[in-house]
Amino acid sequence: MVEGPGRFGLAGLLVWIASLVMQPALAAAAPLDRGAFAAALCGDGAAQTRSVESFLGIASEAESSDVAWAGTALRALLDRRLACLGETALLLDRAGAAEGVDAATGAARPAAGGRSPVLGLRQRALVETASGAAVLLTAPGVEARRTGLATLERRIAAVPEALLLRAAAAETDPGLRLSLAAVAQSAALSSADPARRLAAIRAVSEAPSGAARSRLSALKADPAYGTDPAFRATLDAALARVERAVSIGDGLAVLYNGLSFASILFMAAAGLAIIFGLMGVINLAQGEFIMIGAYATYGVQEALRRLAPAWLDSYLLVAIPVAFLASAGVGIAIEALILRHLYRRPLMSLLATWAVSLFLINGVRVAVGSQNLQFTMPSYVSGGVPLYADFVVTWNRLFAIAFAAVTLVLTLVILKRTPLGLDIRAVTQNRDMAACLGIRTRRVDRLAFGFGSGLAGLAGVALCPIYSVNPGMGANFIVDSFMVVVLGGVGTVVGTLVAALGIGGANVLIEPLYGAVAAKVIVLAGIILFLQRRPEGLFAMRRRR
Amino acid sequence: MSGAVDLSPRIPAARRIGAGFGGDPLLAGLVGLVLASALGLVLLQPAPYLVNMIGQLAAFAILAVSLDLVWGYLGILSLGHGLFFAIGGYVCAMHLLAHAYAVTGRAPDLMQFMGWKSLPAYWAGLTNAPYALALALGLAVAVAFAFGLASFRSRVNGVYFSIISQALVYVAMLLMFRNDTGLGGNNGMTGFDVLFGWPMSTPGIATGLAVATLVALAGVLAGARALVASPLGRRMLACRDDEARLRTLGYGTTRLKLGIWCLSAAIAALAGILYVPQVGIINPRVLSPDLSIEIAVWVAIGGMGRLSGAVIGAVAVNALKFWLSAALPEAWPFILSGLVLAVVLGLPNGLLDLATLRLRPTWLRRGGARP
Repeated sequence: MVEGPGRFGLAGLLVWIASLVMQPALAAAAPLDRGAFAAALCGDGAAQTRSVESFLGIASEAESSDVAWAGTALRALLDRRLACLGETALLLDRAGAAEGVDAATGAARPAAGGRSPVLGLRQRALVETASGAAVLLTAPGVEARRTGLATLERRIAAVPEALLLRAAAAETDPGLRLSLAAVAQSAALSSADPARRLAAIRAVSEAPSGAARSRLSALKADPAYGTDPAFRATLDAALARVERAVSIGDGLAVLYNGLSFASILFMAAAGLAIIFGLMGVINLAQGEFIMIGAYATYGVQEALRRLAPAWLDSYLLVAIPVAFLASAGVGIAIEALILRHLYRRPLMSLLATWAVSLFLINGVRVAVGSQNLQFTMPSYVSGGVPLYADFVVTWNRLFAIAFAAVTLVLTLVILKRTPLGLDIRAVTQNRDMAACLGIRTRRVDRLAFGFGSGLAGLAGVALCPIYSVNPGMGANFIVDSFMVVVLGGVGTVVGTLVAALGIGGANVLIEPLYGAVAAKVIVLAGIILFLQRRPEGLFAMRRRR
Repeated sequence: MSGAVDLSPRIPAARRIGAGFGGDPLLAGLVGLVLASALGLVLLQPAPYLVNMIGQLAAFAILAVSLDLVWGYLGILSLGHGLFFAIGGYVCAMHLLAHAYAVTGRAPDLMQFMGWKSLPAYWAGLTNAPYALALALGLAVAVAFAFGLASFRSRVNGVYFSIISQALVYVAMLLMFRNDTGLGGNNGMTGFDVLFGWPMSTPGIATGLAVATLVALAGVLAGARALVASPLGRRMLACRDDEARLRTLGYGTTRLKLGIWCLSAAIAALAGILYVPQVGIINPRVLSPDLSIEIAVWVAIGGMGRLSGAVIGAVAVNALKFWLSAALPEAWPFILSGLVLAVVLGLPNGLLDLATLRLRPTWLRRGGARP
């Protein structure tokens, strides 16, 4: 969850404006009668309750020094450092100390014969709240104020709104001010004033989120829901509005995640589809080319860290050509050493690529280690923007999506607009005829294999900010990418795209309903059923048989 | 698939037709060796470790033969044969657990783990060994039939079939990793204390299991040999070499492929049934796609399209694995991948090429242009 500034923005603004209006009132604050307050703290439970409640009532208007003083006295009472001698109260350094200072005057006095009052349960909670309020209003440290707010939040009903408004107005830390606004809002929701309450309900529904929904639905248990028709109508309307917004936001989030998953799938599968269409080779090492791309990215990051720390943030961009070339280089080497001997035996080439993948996984495991690699996330892939309700556009996934889109365009341009692409398409359609026309099919094979491997390397770059990177990571993608190739049809980039979107989307759609495993089962069953109708996939390329 | 891609493996033409081992002295020798080692186990009483290892190797050999039947003789490479092996293994494990529970009264780990008072309903009757055997084989055949029917009917062939079968075993693995299946989740099942009323610690029970597995291997080999040497076997080879032509000649290939496919699944399940009591555990890792590919690797290394090749490959690779994963665990994956590459590039018919001294690398054998 990303805590968005927009969540409480409106309510926070209202609080702030209201507190500006209240500034003059604060100037004419009524002084706190320190003596009477100290005496009441030494009194019975009823006196304590009365005095602490009245302190809470005037705390928003009292002098800061008075509030701070009262805070000290209340803290002392909670820690049993308050000694009562008749009508006067002494503050001790520690419980049971022999000497203390007069709470009202500050004069040092012996504490002999003093008794430390024990708080009842109800009084303790109230005193804690009041002490928290004093800390929130006067403590110099942000952390201390945050703790004070947390104490207040536990019994927010006892806290007057004016107190929160004053605290919000004085607050300097933006994070804490946001929390204050949120607390003020929920305080307003349980306010005794019906008009304020309705306004607060409307304000909450202005910024819909899962948290707002649970806050509002909690109000349904409120007695006013049964008795007050206006309250009921407003709450129902607000709840309906929030719920609609939240479900739209959740739907958007699901689509977004599906899109980013599909992007990775597409990049992993595009290379596979090209290689398979051209040479009939099932490349089980494609997942390891992804892994090589990710490790190349890591290498770029470490190199930049050593050589040019100022440029460290740009490592993801620098890694793009490096990862492509690394994976493509390994791919071309494998093609030249192994696969070119096996083109007429696809099942054997499948086993050969499996052996290569076994070799690469264990090679990396021995050379680098099997732990997950640590990446420093540059600012452009960390965090996100809350767009609507709970839907947050996270930069790392947006990076993957944009990356896939660029890859798609480049792949299409290369296949449709360059001489190499023309050769690849020609050889895919009819190898013999292409060879007769003078195309060097072996060279095309090798370049295409390098290109397909390079695409997998790019996928490795794109998933660095999202998934964990380790030697066995390729296995997580290989089965899904094969499903994409089978479903999309061999050798078509568009088919691969559509199939990746379909499988990625279906996985993400079914997952929240029935779980990740059921999603995979359903998708696989769907693909098998689909192949009953179209054994060659969605977009079967026309070829000479 | 385009005509430029020759899907059929390069295998010598079909051997002489006729039942018995007359056409295949190597296989006859192997079956004799298997039976002799079964006898040897009974008479010589070797170390328990060795007995157990021989039993496991025999189970793997049965598994390899089941894959060779569909890959070597029908041209269908299944990368999901671990699924049928696992079905056999899981049902066998369920029987052993239910049986041990009934005899000793000690609740199996998975019941305690899930907090169950009794075993789920689908465990009913599994204490009965014949029912468990029928269930294991029946389940494997049913799954194979459903998947095979869907695939062969729509003419999903070659690498497509391989990929989809791999996805199938992968999905099954994900499924079995869940704890709520009632089959032990990622811990799998273990603690098989009793076999047919005998405590597992009874001396001789390991020998009995190993001998049973060896005898089963000999039986499977004899049966498979009879099958591939029959006219049906010749039709299998024809289907492997040119399915379209066979269909044009009026033979229904779907039914042929489906039948052999289901038979192969049953044999794989049998291997699983025999394997599990010997290792004493089953968990979802037998369903990992890598293991299923390894089965194909055994067959390829031994020599596909020859029953003896499958046995030799399974025994050689796994014996090497037993030895090396203890002696050089780091090096084993490299050795395995090197072995695969060497065989795939240099010995197109596997180790049997060595036996017949036909060491002719593919790149020397092939002429200039492609057909």
